[in-house]
Order: sequence, then C-alpha cells, then structure tokens
Amino acid sequence: MVDLALKMILDDKTRFAITVLGVGFAVALVLTQVGLFFGLLDNASVTIDRLDADLWVTARNTPNVDFANPFPESYVQRVRSVPGVTRADNLIVWYAIVSLPSGAKEQVVYYGLENFPLWNFPWDVASGDPSDLRRGRYVMLDESAERRFGAFEAGDYREFLGRRLKIIGKTRGARSFTTSPIAFVDYGLAQALAPDELEGRTTFVIVKLDPNADPIAVAAEIRRRLPYNDVYTKADWASASQHYWIESTGLGLTIFLTVFLGALVGVVIVAQTLYASVAEHLSEFGTVKALGGRNLDVYGIIAEQATFAAALGYGVGFLFAQALGPVLEQLDMRMIITPTVYVMVFVGTLALCLAASALSFRKVASLDPAIVFRG
Amino acid sequence: MLAIEARDVTKTYGEGRLAVPVLRGVSLSVARGEVVALEGPSGSGKTTLLCILGCLLTPSSGRIAIDGQDVDPHRADRLWKVRRRSIGFVFQQFNLFPSLTATENVQYTLNLRGWRGRKATREADRVLDQVGLGHRKDFRPRDLSGGQKQRVAVARALAGSAPLILADEPTGNLDSEAGAQVLDLFRSLAKVENRGLMIVTHDPSVRSIADRVISIRDGQLTTGEAN
Repeated sequence: MVDLALKMILDDKTRFAITVLGVGFAVALVLTQVGLFFGLLDNASVTIDRLDADLWVTARNTPNVDFANPFPESYVQRVRSVPGVTRADNLIVWYAIVSLPSGAKEQVVYYGLENFPLWNFPWDVASGDPSDLRRGRYVMLDESAERRFGAFEAGDYREFLGRRLKIIGKTRGARSFTTSPIAFVDYGLAQALAPDELEGRTTFVIVKLDPNADPIAVAAEIRRRLPYNDVYTKADWASASQHYWIESTGLGLTIFLTVFLGALVGVVIVAQTLYASVAEHLSEFGTVKALGGRNLDVYGIIAEQATFAAALGYGVGFLFAQALGPVLEQLDMRMIITPTVYVMVFVGTLALCLAASALSFRKVASLDPAIVFRG
Repeated sequence: MLAIEARDVTKTYGEGRLAVPVLRGVSLSVARGEVVALEGPSGSGKTTLLCILGCLLTPSSGRIAIDGQDVDPHRADRLWKVRRRSIGFVFQQFNLFPSLTATENVQYTLNLRGWRGRKATREADRVLDQVGLGHRKDFRPRDLSGGQKQRVAVARALAGSAPLILADEPTGNLDSEAGAQVLDLFRSLAKVENRGLMIVTHDPSVRSIADRVISIRDGQLTTGEAN
C-alpha cells in the first residue's frame, strides 16, 4: 500500500517539524504540570501514606495533617480499649522555629512519637537510628532541609524554639506540602517544645488494627467513644489532606487551567498546520476523490497525519518531561507521573489532534472532485 | 461493446428564473477501442459533459451507461464506486501526487481499486514500461518533464482495467512534439488495451488520431453524434 498521508506530510518537513514541536511543547507542559501537581499532592499526604497506621483520630475539623489541633492525650486509652485495635499511640505534629548558625530562623514541622520503629516511621533513614530519639534531646532531620538550613551532619546542634537539640541522623523523602522541612523527635520532647499548647495533649492518635478487624466498624466505635473527635481511615485521611490543599489554595484550578491551556496550544497548532496543509494540497485531495476515493479515504489521510503528529509530538514531550525530572529534583520539586498519567496524556493527545483535524475534514468533505477539470 | 453511452443528458444549474441550461439533451457513445475527440468553444458545456460522463456530476435528466451498466444518477453518494472501477482520468494539469514517485502514483490508484502488494507493483511497472518510463519509475513529478508527467498520468489511467478513459486537454501543457508523442501513445494503447478513449481538446492535432470527432456548442452536439 502506498502511504500517501505519510508521504504528503513528510514532503514539507519544516511544517511537519513545527507541528511536532508544537504538540511536543503542549505535551511537555501538561506532563510537567500534572507531574508537579502529583508531586505536591504526594507531599501533602506522604507521612500518612508511609506511617503504618490504619486509622487516624484527629481533633474535630482538623483540615489536614500539617494543621493539627491538640486534644487530651488520655483519649488514647479509650481508643486502646476498642475491640479490634492492636495498638494505639499518640502522635504530635507541630511547628517549631529553628535558629540557624547564620542567625536566620526557619520553620520546621516536627513529628513526635514514643516509639518510631513500631510505626515504621520515618520510612527512609539515611543515617542514625530513630529508636535513639527517646534517649535525649535528639532530633532527626530530613535531607531536604539542607536547602534551607544549610549543610548539617549528625552531631551538629540546632536550636528548636530556644532549646538546643542534637541532630542524630538524617531521613530521606519526608516533605510537607508547605515545603517546611520535617523533623522527628521523641513524643515527650515534642510536648516540651511547646508546653503551653501541648502539655498533656496530643494532636493525633494513630491506630493499628487487628488484621481481621473491620476498619469501618472500628472507626465507628471510636467515634462513639470520642464524640468530639474525627476518625479517618488511612486512605480517607490522605485524601482529606490532599483535597484541603487542592481546594484552599486554588491549586486544582491552576493546574486545570495550565493543562487546559497546554492542550489548547497543541490543538491550535495542529489544527492550524493541518488546515494549512489541507488547503495547500486541496487539488491532491480532489484528485483522490476523482480517482474514486471516498470522503472516508480522504478523512483517513488527514486522520493518519494527525495521528502521526500526535505520536511523534508525544514522544518529544515525553522525552522533554523525562529530561526535566532530574533538573527539577535538584530544585526540590518532585514530579510524579504514573503510567496511568502517561497513557491518559497519550490518549488525550491523540484525541485532541484528531479533534483538531475536524476543521480540515469539513473542508475536504465539501470538496467537489470536479475541481480537477477546472485547472 | 460500448465503453460509455449517454442518452438525452441535460444539465441545468440554478432554478426558476435563475436556471441556466448547460447541456440540452446530449446523446453520445464511445465504443471500446475507439478514440473520440470532443471539441467546442469555451462555455459550450464540454467540461460539464466531461464531469457527467466521468461520474463527477449528476445530470438533471438522461441516462448514462458505462460498459453496459446503467449508472444511477440518484445515488450520487455511490458514484465513487463507478469512478474507481470503470474510469481512468487524464488531466490537463497532470494532477500527479508530488510526494509520490511515478510508480507510487500509479500504485496509489491501483490501491484505491483494490489492487494490493506485488500484484499492484507488477501492474504499475507494466503500464510504466508501456508508456516508456520504465527508467523513470522512482522519479518524483518534480524531476520529470511535462511530457513525462503526462505519460505517468496516462499510465495511471490505464492501470487496472477501466473500460473508459477520459482525458481533459491532455496536450494543453505540452509542447507540440511532446504532445504528439503523448497522443500517439494514447491512441495505440487505447487500441491495444481495448479501452474507450474520449479526449476533450482545443488542439487540432487531436483530430488526426481520433476515430471520430464530436463538436459541442451551446450545450448541444453539432457534429459526430445525433442530438
């Protein structure tokens, strides 16, 4: 079979290159924005996802894991007495101001637990042992803090809310949505750092369930016993934390607009170049019809050209996004692009390129094959 | 056997007071192996008649039969089938696909006609050899002379087994020598391959190779066929 569509489109390589680059730009824009969006969302719930808890008990109307409200720590006893609960511990998530050797001050989010290893938290330890945190005024800091705090090593001291804490190790991948670095301290120390708000109080109770227990039923029973608290499953709490940021910051709308504009750029470029190409080759399409080609045959030529532009453009955009990933990582901006996103963006690119060719379809549909006899 | 037969064909553009009759009851026929020249001044209805005979346009009334089979003018959406199966075209502007080689230009038409693979390649090679372009098969139209382009167009029209070939001013863009060569080639191949050939032309030299000359004026045939 002679592939007229391909030969025709490759006959003007400059125009085709512009089309492919246009689609590639749009795809790269969409992939990068969506990847950064998911990267940010992952930050919003990464501690919930990684901490080995099935249920989270929060103060009433706590919007997300970073903005916690204290409640009496003794509530944990009521949770432990609920059938199906294997273990329940208090967890403090709070903010602290850290004085740096330079004299500057930075904010940090700290997580306080009595027994970190039992909760598999922190999940990626670069150096040090989390079980040592309970032995004194010790802190572990995430490596990502180095961008704000400057270089630090185990054995260094930093001042948290006026108290000197010794850094005993580093973690990896613990980030908050607000970009404040994450620190890990013993539960008692976490309370001592903010005694006015946290003495005798906690911000969460985290719950491990018996493998045979029904999380929904156990959550309902905890709600009955703690009527002034909220209880979430792990997935619901992660989702609530993410949705808070999507809705309260307008992040969702921003991403939607960027993706929409990216797609629009791609559609306009493909529509414009395909339409120009069709207009330029109108007599050839007329010849196809005169020789016995149906409208369907002509649509097939244009659709194949749009598909080819979409596939190559997607490839260019994909490579660009892949190359951009490590660069953004250096800037502490993570892109998370799942295979599903790649597939969806490819299908979307294909669909939009075909939609963009609809304008050209209309032009050739009304084309009278008798133009071949009109010079 | 008649390659094409037209009976009482009329064509009127517009309606009511704006109606413009272009063809007024034209009847003609072209037998297989016959070469017919159609002459007429500008505005006489030549192109409209050619479009109707080529199933690119439906007549207002009248009957068309190609290779003995009636063409239903009320199924305009099916005329592409008739064109694909039964008619080869040669155009004044050649209308070759510039991005395809000579072979590919012929093969593409064969592909439309349902010929595939080596069968299409062999047929394309055969007709290109017949028109004397066996050594230019892989050339694109931009690398061919006007006469060579028109030979490719002739090969394209002959490829397959269409009983009727319609040529619109095939020598219009050629010098006299190249035009004469194309006409000789056209005539001999139409005879050898037993195809009906109608050539619409202003070129007096076409008369010399035609078996019959038909003239049209003001939408009516004036010589060669009864109206």
